Amino acid sequence: MVELEKKEMRDVKVTVKPQGWIALIIMLCMFSGLFAQMSGPLSFLKVLDLNTLVGAFGTIGDTGKNFMGAGGVGARDGFMFALSLAPSCVFAMGLIEIFTEMGVMEAFRKLFTPILRPLLGLPGTAGLALVNSLNGSDVAAILTKKLYDDGEITDDERTIFVAFQYPGSAPIGNMIATQAALLPVTVLAMGPLILVVILCKLIGANLVRLYLKASKNKNKKKEA
Amino acid sequence: MDTQNSAIAQRKLGLIELFMVGAKKGWNVAINTIMPAMVLGYVLVQVFQVTGIMAVLSNVAGPVMGIFGLPGEAITVILSAFFAKAAGAATAFNLYAAGTITAAQATICVMPSMLMGTLVGHYARIVLVSETNKKHTALMFGVALFDAAIGMLIMRAILAIMGIN
Repeated sequence: MVELEKKEMRDVKVTVKPQGWIALIIMLCMFSGLFAQMSGPLSFLKVLDLNTLVGAFGTIGDTGKNFMGAGGVGARDGFMFALSLAPSCVFAMGLIEIFTEMGVMEAFRKLFTPILRPLLGLPGTAGLALVNSLNGSDVAAILTKKLYDDGEITDDERTIFVAFQYPGSAPIGNMIATQAALLPVTVLAMGPLILVVILCKLIGANLVRLYLKASKNKNKKKEA
Repeated sequence: MDTQNSAIAQRKLGLIELFMVGAKKGWNVAINTIMPAMVLGYVLVQVFQVTGIMAVLSNVAGPVMGIFGLPGEAITVILSAFFAKAAGAATAFNLYAAGTITAAQATICVMPSMLMGTLVGHYARIVLVSETNKKHTALMFGVALFDAAIGMLIMRAILAIMGIN
């Protein structure tokens, strides 16, 4: 198993099944909110919108409030609120499982691998860890340690990589799982929000990249 | 249980079975990850409000939060996000429901909730597990706070360009 992982990490050429690209396109459509406002003859395209499929709770009587009612506070209200988030979480995670099986991660990896060097100054072998870090934190952290242990990345490159992974960890998975409370009221859809988070992660990591480069040069000067 | 799992892993799952596997994970996340964080977040808000800390913090934090286009009360979002991303989101939603922040400001709140969320818990899970050089500990926390700040500013700019307040 370990050997296999190693081989997989070294093998930069990733093959993406056609359904992997299809999964990627469907996923982007659903999470971007692109079809949320479709009307008229094209309104059937709403079926490709995540929030449309998640739907809405019914209201109780003529109060206009759902089962959470109004005016709740404290732990009890927090609990009810968490319950109200369960349906979207259950549904989205079910979808992601299907997309993952279809090969969406390989498609992401194919897209990311060639741009890793300019983006973060990392070798293409870090692609698997990077893609994993978008949807979960634990596997990516272990892969990152392995990359260093295998001599694929230097200590400084690991620091830069972790500076990317750590803030806003697992942006795709966590946007769904943890921000579910806010997403119904935000003025931007989930997709654009994830993109902005990833952009900020890149800015921060590159700042660390510059900082490490500067301090390295300083040390070199001291030695000389 | 183990043999059962490996037997399932060997057989290729159909679409519906795959969905069920993921959906069960989703339920687990909702009940075991989100719910405790929500309870924490809501209780923290209650503590801040009952003790009057909220009012004091809001006054003190007002000018700083103003830079990010948020009212002083939004400092509670930052405080609860630090413990858990979901708690930050819950706090922000509470402020929105109470009419303290607008939908646009709630959108800005997603940035700190994500980018500086769950900093303590994930320090162990990411920074320690990847065995990042110990001398960069402060740098790691610093970059998370920086990302959150830049995220709020970028989001504020995007919303301003879109003409949403």
